[in-house]
Amino acid sequence: MQKNKEQIESTLDGFDAGQMSRRGFLQRMSALGVSAMVANTVMLSPLGARKAFAAIGGAEERAWALAKEAAAKATKKSLTLLIPTGSIGNMTPYVDKWKSELGIDLIFIEEPDEVVHTKGMQEAVAKTGSYDVMMPTAMSYPDWIDSGVIYDLTDWVEKHDPEIFNPDYGVVFPANHHAQLYNGRVAGLLNDGDQITLLCRSDYIENSDKAKAFSDKFGYALSTPKTWSEYHDIASFMHDPANNFYGSLEYRSRYYVKWMFMQRLISKGRLYFDNEMNPTFNSEEGLAALEDMLKMNEFLHPDAFSFTWSSNYNAFGRGEGFMNICWPSGFKYSKAPSTGPATSGKIAATVMPADKLKDGTLLYAGMFCWGYGYAVSKYSANPELAYAYAQWMTSPTISMDAIPYLGGYSDPYRVNHMKQPSERMLDTYTAPYLDTLYNNMVNTVPDFCLPGGFEYQDALDKEIHACMTGEKKPQQALDDASRSFERITRRVGKEKVQKSWLALTKNLAEPIKKASGADKWG
Amino acid sequence: MLSRPLTLPLAIVLGLALVVTLFPVFWIVMTAIKPPTDWNATPAIWIPEQPTLVNFRTLFDPDAIREYGVGGVSQPATASVLGSIFASVIATFFSILIGLFSAIGLSRYSTMTKATPLVILSGRMFPPAAIAVPFVIIFSVTNVIDTYSGLIAIYVAVTLPFSTWMLKSFIDDLPREIEEAAMLDGRSRLMAHLTVTIPLVRGGLFATTMFIFILNWSEFMFALVLSYTNVTTIPVQLAKYVTATAGTLYGVQAALAVLAMLPLVVGGFMIQSHLARGMTFGAVKR
Repeated sequence: MQKNKEQIESTLDGFDAGQMSRRGFLQRMSALGVSAMVANTVMLSPLGARKAFAAIGGAEERAWALAKEAAAKATKKSLTLLIPTGSIGNMTPYVDKWKSELGIDLIFIEEPDEVVHTKGMQEAVAKTGSYDVMMPTAMSYPDWIDSGVIYDLTDWVEKHDPEIFNPDYGVVFPANHHAQLYNGRVAGLLNDGDQITLLCRSDYIENSDKAKAFSDKFGYALSTPKTWSEYHDIASFMHDPANNFYGSLEYRSRYYVKWMFMQRLISKGRLYFDNEMNPTFNSEEGLAALEDMLKMNEFLHPDAFSFTWSSNYNAFGRGEGFMNICWPSGFKYSKAPSTGPATSGKIAATVMPADKLKDGTLLYAGMFCWGYGYAVSKYSANPELAYAYAQWMTSPTISMDAIPYLGGYSDPYRVNHMKQPSERMLDTYTAPYLDTLYNNMVNTVPDFCLPGGFEYQDALDKEIHACMTGEKKPQQALDDASRSFERITRRVGKEKVQKSWLALTKNLAEPIKKASGADKWG
Repeated sequence: MLSRPLTLPLAIVLGLALVVTLFPVFWIVMTAIKPPTDWNATPAIWIPEQPTLVNFRTLFDPDAIREYGVGGVSQPATASVLGSIFASVIATFFSILIGLFSAIGLSRYSTMTKATPLVILSGRMFPPAAIAVPFVIIFSVTNVIDTYSGLIAIYVAVTLPFSTWMLKSFIDDLPREIEEAAMLDGRSRLMAHLTVTIPLVRGGLFATTMFIFILNWSEFMFALVLSYTNVTTIPVQLAKYVTATAGTLYGVQAALAVLAMLPLVVGGFMIQSHLARGMTFGAVKR
């Protein structure tokens, strides 16, 4: 790579100057040892080949160089990856390359997604060295770093630059902070842009009879909802249980229902804690969020209380509802004729609805929830090689190639995935949806990526679910959740959680910081 | 033999009990032969119009399911089936062997206090989740984590109180005089137990073996927690049938569940005469 540096640079200059055809450029770059993926991306970049190559190709090339070096030194010629079941499809296409060019076997240990965090904590105790790379959600980083089971990647990141903060190719802000950092240090490299967005049935929106009936009834045009109030109106209008068609497929099931509440809460300009770690959902806004959800219950799919992500996707794909709040993979399901027989080609997606603040302004906020990443095990026999794998897989170029493969959970997360997508990325997600993902991601608020995060999440989930099932009154549910939060904070240690919380909330979209008061937290 | 005429109310009650008991089995078998489109259709499809064996094929050829546009199954279930058979059979053998001699010892040669049953059963008084982590540490230190010997050891430890206690109750119901007669004939204590006691509690032995085997065969928590790459069992494999392209693979899970039920059903039929005897052994107390 280094040997060819001058030749590559002259080729890039030649292409920028128009002295070379696209085909000639690709052939020349290939002859110089540049991967087809990098060459293609560079060729299509609006920045110009030279600038694009420096930025976009660099992360992959640097990772590969490190991988070569580490693989040559390694005595154990394999990398073992702990991954959630169902995610393997984004990784298997590269197994042969790692074997044939580096002599490294990639071995995947699949565990149910709810078990991955536990397995990581177990490894902290057992120290078996069974894993090299681990693929948790961002919520695992605090506990895993604190328990010493994974490396702080910051030094490697500074040395090998995976371009996670690059404005043109990096992970979209603020997810580049909240989905990868713990206390300002890099804990993992994001490989999955999990955020929830809103899907609607475009065929119903375009139906002139429905559009007229809707505008006659509500006084505004039928379209994808811009606010939570419109969301409620549209759901009530479209709800047709007699024909097995429901207003929305929003989740009310355990484990999922908390996100529906958290999403509404942040739309109202509230985060989960104030700067002193007092829970803030036990408030006027939290109560209103619960009331909104209760009002929506009558327009939901009857299976909403038992939905898992897959049963939800299947029901929407079968054409059993007008709207769905789901992850980007839900869009893929709805788009594919095999999983979305009733919805293929009939989806209009939008960012999560806004809510009106007290001053009358609209606040758009999104939930970044789940979102897998690669972490490196402290007990790996080849930590550098494990890091190289993580950087290589998440580089702007390889990730662009990996995400569109079916049979994996990865969704777009870098700027170039959404702003300069490859043909395959466009085929998988469509240009309008990639725009939606970008516009939603810039306003995302993280999950409980804090020490004890899983406990907070579960405590909130339990109470919200109890409220939705009628077991508890809204105020009672919020009081109980609030008490649980205070107990967890005391047990984990207020200062520890506070430090993490303040680091987490430092990097959010300005309107959200302003609305929540986080802009004054210092 | 007491017999009771089958009256209409009794027939209805028995019929209802049969439906309630067999419905889950019926549903699993039907799901196992459904194509992916029918797995969680609304309204539910009771009997598939186009039954298929693709779910069973997928267990051993992960790509088989791709004909329905579903991908992402990465491993055949072969290792987990073999792992379950190996771990369950060996663990059951040791649990019964140790439990049998413990039971004979407790029944015939020990002066038990009131605390003895409590001590024996104390190992079963903790939920598996509570003792799983300590075992992870112990097994890591002793290098038996992620090995079949470790898994078998924990299975034996967990089922031994059951086997001991169940077998002890069968031996308690056997008159000592029969063994004493054998000893008067010149047999040693050990030979008396081997040639007299054990054949006479054969029914109870079969019933206990079946029960312990079912416990080992369906154990999930320890198999999940104590395994990484080398050890896998059917219950753990069942939890892994989730793909990004179709979510939970209910049909494939059901196919594996049907396979997992087979040895229990076949074994049950083969030893049912002994089972009936074992279950009722000692029902008439002396």
